[in-house]
Amino acid sequence: MIMIRKMFLIAVFSVGILAFTGKGTAFAVSAEENYKFYCTQCHGMDGKGEGANAKPKVVGIDLPEMSVTPRNHTSPEDMNKLTDIDIENAISGGGAAVSKSTIMPPWGKTLTEAEIKDLTAYLRKLCKCKGK
Amino acid sequence: MNVSKVGQLMASLSLTVFVVVFSWNISYADGKGIFASKNCGSCHQIQGPAAEKTFEDQQKKKGPELWYAGSKFKKEWLGEWLANPTAIRLLKYNSVTEKNTEKHPALSKKEADEVADYLMMLTAKEVPVGAVTEAVNPQGKNMFQKKYGCVGCHSIKAGAQKVGGVSGPDLSDAGKRLKGDWVYAYLKEPKVFKPVKRMPIFVSIINDNEMKTLAGFVAAQK
Repeated sequence: MIMIRKMFLIAVFSVGILAFTGKGTAFAVSAEENYKFYCTQCHGMDGKGEGANAKPKVVGIDLPEMSVTPRNHTSPEDMNKLTDIDIENAISGGGAAVSKSTIMPPWGKTLTEAEIKDLTAYLRKLCKCKGK
Repeated sequence: MNVSKVGQLMASLSLTVFVVVFSWNISYADGKGIFASKNCGSCHQIQGPAAEKTFEDQQKKKGPELWYAGSKFKKEWLGEWLANPTAIRLLKYNSVTEKNTEKHPALSKKEADEVADYLMMLTAKEVPVGAVTEAVNPQGKNMFQKKYGCVGCHSIKAGAQKVGGVSGPDLSDAGKRLKGDWVYAYLKEPKVFKPVKRMPIFVSIINDNEMKTLAGFVAAQK
């Protein structure tokens, strides 16, 4: 009986934790998968800032280029200007949070804080740089 | 008015109601039959609620879900589009690298209108009818183009030119296609309609009044 009660409490506790951490993607994905699903729309599959939204003509669509150039994540010169906190703030709050273009939208309600930290680490791999 | 005239009037009124309801029912039933016979369900989900949980679930889908089509689309547009389909998302469904060159099957105008009648019956209770005023407004334009950067992924008319991104649906004539109430509901409860999608969640970033204003602006683009 005590065993059953213990198991019940553990189950209730687990559900509570899941409910508390339920924000963001509800399934485990790697930073690379998140990058490919979300970020590539503008930053491109190779992270050079040449995604279809930035340069529609590259994919054969006759629309003008984006008014701003998405960050080239493979450039150590550009990425070294940023701290990890700068990057996390830019992902979470969008361009507006770091005095950059609002064309970069806020992802703080889409991704969890842990996913944003993982993405930041992934960007450091892409630029092969450590930042400020 | 004498009794016989009242009787005649009632009879003709009943007949009119009967004919209208009967012919509408035929059209709806025919539309459902056409949808089934053309195998539209092999790409378009007509049963809600949304069941996708992972990127993989979304990537497996071949076309947009239609289980809330009646809440989302304007009927006249639907009938015209099904007879003469053109790309709505300029990139291929689920792709961020390939242009949409797919030829969606076209129906005859009669079939298209019947399928439109059927699809308009598929509604979602989460879409509040009459919540949004569809009108071009400077606040909505500012939100779309500047404050929230929607233009980064969605194209729109800017004077004679079309500008904007291509990974979201083309919104340059969204007002012909989309109901403002649905755009608002989609911003407010995105997971109901598309639990896994490339658009960020704006809940508690854009407030309720702004969502309505923005939705009204989008649904006025023609």
